[in-house]
This record gives sequence, C-alpha cells and structure tokens, in this order.
Amino acid sequence: MTSQDLSTSHAALLRDAMAGRLSRRQALQRAVALGLSAPAMAGLMTAYRSSPVAAQDAPATSPLAGKTIDMSILGIGGWPPSRLGVDLATELFKPYAKETLGYDVNFTFEESPFDQLFQKAATSLQAESAQYNIIISDSQWLGALAEPGWILQLNDIIAENPELQIEFEPAAREGYQIFPDGSDQVWGLPQEGDTIALFVRQDLFSDQAERDAFKAANGGTDLPQTFEDWEQIDIVAFEKIAAHFTRPEQGLAGTAMQWSKVYDYISCYLYPFMFSTGGEIIEGDVGSYKIEGVLDSQVNADAMALNKRFLDYAPNGATNFGIPELVDQFTTGTCATCFQWSALGPQMMNQKAGAAAGEADDPSKPVTPENVMIVAPPAFKQADGSLKRVYALGGQPWTINAFNDADHLQVAVDYMKFWYRPETQLEFARRGGNPSVKATLDDPEFDTLQPHFRAFKYMIREGRSRDFWHDPNYAEMLATQQEAFSAYLTGTVEDPMQALKYTACEQQGILFDGERTEIEPSEACNDVSL
Amino acid sequence: MAQLGTHLDRPIVGATPAARGRRAWTRALDDSRFFPSLLLVPILIFFVVWNVVPLLWLVGVSFYRYKVTSSREPSFVGWENFAEIFQSTEIWRTLGRTLTFMLLSVGLATILGVLLGLLFWGSQRMPGRRLALTLLFTPMVLPPVAVGTFFRLIYEPNFGVVNYYAQQIVGRRFDFLGDKDLAFFATVAVDVWMWTPFMILMTLAALGSVPKAELEAAEVDRLPWLQRLRYIVLPHGKFILMLGILLRTIDAFKTTDLPYLMTNGGPGNQTELVGLSLYRTGFEAFQMGDASSLAVVTLLVAIAFTSVYLYVLNYRAARVEMR
Repeated sequence: MTSQDLSTSHAALLRDAMAGRLSRRQALQRAVALGLSAPAMAGLMTAYRSSPVAAQDAPATSPLAGKTIDMSILGIGGWPPSRLGVDLATELFKPYAKETLGYDVNFTFEESPFDQLFQKAATSLQAESAQYNIIISDSQWLGALAEPGWILQLNDIIAENPELQIEFEPAAREGYQIFPDGSDQVWGLPQEGDTIALFVRQDLFSDQAERDAFKAANGGTDLPQTFEDWEQIDIVAFEKIAAHFTRPEQGLAGTAMQWSKVYDYISCYLYPFMFSTGGEIIEGDVGSYKIEGVLDSQVNADAMALNKRFLDYAPNGATNFGIPELVDQFTTGTCATCFQWSALGPQMMNQKAGAAAGEADDPSKPVTPENVMIVAPPAFKQADGSLKRVYALGGQPWTINAFNDADHLQVAVDYMKFWYRPETQLEFARRGGNPSVKATLDDPEFDTLQPHFRAFKYMIREGRSRDFWHDPNYAEMLATQQEAFSAYLTGTVEDPMQALKYTACEQQGILFDGERTEIEPSEACNDVSL
Repeated sequence: MAQLGTHLDRPIVGATPAARGRRAWTRALDDSRFFPSLLLVPILIFFVVWNVVPLLWLVGVSFYRYKVTSSREPSFVGWENFAEIFQSTEIWRTLGRTLTFMLLSVGLATILGVLLGLLFWGSQRMPGRRLALTLLFTPMVLPPVAVGTFFRLIYEPNFGVVNYYAQQIVGRRFDFLGDKDLAFFATVAVDVWMWTPFMILMTLAALGSVPKAELEAAEVDRLPWLQRLRYIVLPHGKFILMLGILLRTIDAFKTTDLPYLMTNGGPGNQTELVGLSLYRTGFEAFQMGDASSLAVVTLLVAIAFTSVYLYVLNYRAARVEMR
C-alpha cells in the first residue's frame, strides 16, 4: 500500500468513525489492518472519546439541507498548513456536512505566495466580492482586512455558537484573533499556530569526534545533545557552536536564518534578538502610538549588530534567504543548525508527507528524519542571569469574507465549528499542522504526533512567542523596515542606529498620516535617510 | 469597383421598398465624407475607454488622499501628493537610480546591438547565420518573469552557474544579488542580455533600409568602411535606430519585473527602481493617491523622453528634406 493509499484509507476510516458508522472495536480492527501508527490510532480513538456529536447530530438539521454550496478558500501558496485547511475540508468536512447537516459542499483552494496574498485578497474584497469565502490571512493583516470592513467581526458568531467558544493559547488569541491590540474585538480564528524552532543536525552533534573537538576548544563544554540541553543554550553559547561548525572549505555552515528583504523575512528573525534583550518596537495605543524613540533604542541597535554577526556563520548568499531557501540549505546538508518556522518540520526533516515517521521524502539528500532534532531556539541571558527567549509568532488565522451571502456564511461557520472539534484538530496535527487549541496541545499524545511539536508547544507558551503590529498600515511599515534592515545587513548603511532611526521616523510618519497616532515625527527626522 | 457600382446602380427588379430604402441608405453612407471617420469609431471608443478614461481617472486620483485599506473616505488634497514627491529625497534617489539604470542598460544594449548587427549584416554567407540569429533573439522573447527567476538561480552563490565559473577562474564566489556593490550591475547585465537582441533587430532593420545602389557605388569607389558607415549607412538607418533607442528608453525607465524578482529592490534599496516603488505604493501599501501622483510624474518623464527623441527625429528629417 502506498503512503497515499494509506492516507486515503485512514481518512475514510476517520470519516466512518466520526459519522458513527463504526463501533470503537471495529475502528480499531480496521486501523490495525491498515497498519496505522500508534499516534494515528490515538487520534482515531478521540473520535469516540470526545465526539458524541457525530453520532447524535440529526441529519438534515441545517437550513441548507438539500443544497449544494461551492466554497472557495484563499490561502498561502506552497505553505503546507494552508493546504491542510483545504484538504481536511474536502476529505472530512464534505462527507460530514452531507451526512449530518444534509447539504453538499465543494471546496476549491485559491493560493498566493506570502508576499502577494494580501494583494490578491484586497483587490477582490475592495470590489465587495465574495470570490473568496474564507481567507487564511497572515496574522498581521488582520487590521488591514478589518478596518475597511472586508472581513466579519466574529464576536456575535462566537457568542451564538458554543462550539467556537474555545480556549486558545494566549499567544494565538492575541496574534490571530484580536484587532485593535488590547481590545476584545475578534476578527479571526486560529488556523495554524506557528513559532520559530531550531533544527539541528543530530548526526553531527552526536559525533564523538565533533564533541571532543568542541570540548577541547571550549574548556570542556560538550555540544548539547537533548532538548533539555538546548533549553539551557543562550545566544553566546550558540555562537560558539555555530562557529565550531562553520567550515566553508567543507561546504558546511554553522547556522542559517531568514535575512531576505522579501515580505517579513528579516523582521521575524531579527525581532527575537530585540524582544529577548528588552527591546520594543512600538508603544501606546491607537491615537498615541509611539515608534520614534522606542524602536531606535541602543538595545535594539545592539540586537541588530548581534543578529548580523551570525551572517559570518551562514552559507554564501544568506542575505537572500527566505523560507524555501532555508529548507533547501538545511536538507542538502550545508548547515549544522537552522532557524525555521516549526510548521515546516516535516519539510525540514525531509520527511515524506503522510508516510510513517522516519521515512525520507528524498533519500538522496544527506538530511533524513532520523538525524534531525528540533529544539527551542537559543535563549538570551538577562542581567540577573536568567534565560529568556521571545521569538516572533508565525501562523495564520481563518477570516470570513464579510460579503458572503447567508448560505456561504453558514457553511463557513459550520466548517469553523468542525475545524475545532477535537478529532479534527488532532487529525490536523497528525498530518503536520500546528493547532492552537489549548486542550489539543494538552492532549497526552500531542507531543509524540510530530517531531516538531515539542518545540512548537514549548515556544508558543509562557510568552516565548509574540506577534507584531496588526495595524492597517502594516504593509508600509513592514516595507520600510525590511528595506532599512536589509540595508544594514548588506552593508549599505554601516550603523544599525541609522537604520533604526530611519525606520522609526518613517513608521511614525506612516501612523501619523494614517491618523493612527497624534504624535508627529520629530524635526530630526528630516535629516535621516538610508 | 466600377462593375460593382454599375451593378448596385441598376434597379433591382422585384426589390421591396424596404430593401430599396436600405440600399439608398448604404449608398448615401458610402458617398459621405464622414464614412472614413465612421470606420474609426470602434477603435476610438476602445482608445477612449481603455486609455483616456483611465488616464483622466489616474490624474484625478492623484489629487486625493485615498488609501484602499482605510475606512476613511478619499479626501481632496490638491497638489499635496505632488509636493510630497518633490520633497522626498527617497523618491529623487529612486528616480536617479532609475535614470542610471536606463542609461547603462540602453547604452550598453545599443552598443552591443549595433556591433552584433553589423557583424551579422556583413556576414550574409556565414554558415548557420539564420540559426545563430534565432538563438540570439531568444532572450528577447522570454517573459521577464522567467528571466528574473532564471538569473536569480544563475547568480546563486552556492550552486549558480556563474559562480561555478567564477570559482574556476578567479577562485572565489560572489553574492551577486546580495552584495551592495554588485546587485545593481548584476541587474543591469540581465537587462542588457535580454534586450540587446532587440537592438540587433533594429540595427538589421536600419541596415536593410540602406539603398543597395548606394552601397554598390561605395563598393565601386572603394570607400573605407568607416566612411561607408558615416556617409551612407547612418543617414539612412539612423531613424529606425533612433526609434529602437526610444522604445528601449521608455521600456527601461519603467522596468519593474527584473528587480522585483531578482532582488526585491535590495540589498537595502540598491535596485529599487521607480516602477518598483510605484508597484509597492499602489499594490502593497494601497496608497492610491500617492501611487497615482507618482505615476503621473513617471508618465510626464516618459513623455519628455519621447518628445526629445521625436523632436530630434523630426528636426533631422526636416533638414534632410531641405537638402
């Protein structure tokens, strides 16, 4: 049986179980016959443990009973979690809707790369079109989508549907749901949670010769071997590790992260250096936002300088590295460690989609699932000696088009309710998606479902990940700082403070012009340029 | 036509009054001096709907503060958007960078195009000439999106083919698109590679317009090749060549796709050209007022280039006629 057949059979089995057509015993027998893994069986059993709904739902209870609805989901192209959101809609929700709600629904996936998704959505929504009924947006776009009234505010819908009154991870609630920041206005529901993780070539790190060499050069300190060891690694120790593995003559680099000017790549990987060392990027609320004097702080300038230092341990061309370049670099064996979004765990490990854990997608590549460990990225030592890590939050919320007619809105809400059923969330997780529902992350099996889940759970909790602005002026603010940060990283400007001052002045001006703050850029800004 | 006219003039036996009326109407239309203008109506409608109206709309929006993603209504701000452009050092730098890009790209493509054009013109009997020309024209017909993507990979520091040879020849690799000193010229080089064939084509067209008799006379008189170029080829071919340069200048000025795909305007803003700024302002920031005013300025610059070229062409043409 091919992995695709296995995946299809597993999905069919899950559907039957959720629809109540199989007893628990029958389901287990079929799961064993299919050779499903233990985590997959555990996921299957949750259909019985926590979902009496499927068996109890009376058929054809929906006002849409008998109708056929075509739904379109706009998501991020080439981004596996977005794809999963549509795959599960077709594979699981479609039969569920037919059997328990009494209507037919078809889903299509419209996609666009990260940096063009908003443009694609906005040009359609501006025309008050319901071309995309559900939009998987990047979290920072919430304000830009909400402000013109293009997406639905969900407070009332959540109040009317107890199934949507879910306890999410706090970082997910703040990042994917709320606009303006600090308010109680809900505009999105978490589709995929995401945090930065560190991918480590365990085959190199466990090599005795490497360990001995590192010990000899670092006063007897060993290379970290376990997740717990990595928890104790701060950025200074990590720099030594990166330096140890930097061997250009062997085609090996110590580490890599995103330094590309495209979209938010630099920002997401520079912010951790700022956040974790006490830097801030904005202060105040709507009407009193202050960036000048906040972003351009010495702490942030030092953080930029530290971040830039890691270019010395990166492969050639690192200032153009974005998400796909990091996958290529790491899986082709050019980096000993690599910072990357945890959502790409399977891709970074070269793991075959839908196959048993450990099976390589491309066996010809030097990196295979068994020689990769996924851990928390380095911490930053504080003045009191404690360790702190605050990294950028990734991930995307579901948002619902405000121009949907009643039928499409009903299907969107039904799908959201289905999405957050525990068994759906576990199935999403089993296929590699990162859930944000607290109960799912607390599930005893959760950590073992995917190799990257432990790091993901560790990073999304206890304030270790945070998002940045959700302001409607996001695009301009982002473009300005990407340009300035890129200018510093590539040596176009030598002083990090110049890049920060330029960014702060420009962003203050953008917010002032957009009537988001009453604080004007200072006179000093007239003399600042890149 | 005479036969057809005779046929139409002959009364049609048994024709209904309605048919006779139709025939009279078409004949009147045919005789009318407005008929040629009437034939132009469809294209005029097309031109007005797709060119004039959007242009007027663009000019109108340029006087507004209008952000698509804002809940605020567009507000009339007069010349404020234009004033911001003229006060912005960033925009002037971008315009300066764009002009440098344009001069380098068009200049190099013209020099190479003319040289290669002359080479092919002078080697009519070269074996495989047609195949060589076809291959040479290939870059011009490739979509810029493909060219940008290919060259991002070709320049790639780790596995790119250019760096492979750089390693072999000078013993080191270059981060062509990430290095602040190289990225701009690397982008210019791609534009030159892509558009030199166009200038070859224009050169061959220009050379083709030279009367054979004059060339043969020069041959008989054993005129040196440089003088042949100056006194025979250039006077005949320069108009076509100038047209090519004009088209390339306008095209290079609005280059957007190559830097967008290859460097996204980076590193820093080293390859940020005016087209890319325009795209970002309009379709990333959705600041339609600002984008429209910048587009108007860009349009005026393009019109200025065109006017200068047309003036030069017309002036020289007039001088030639006077002779």
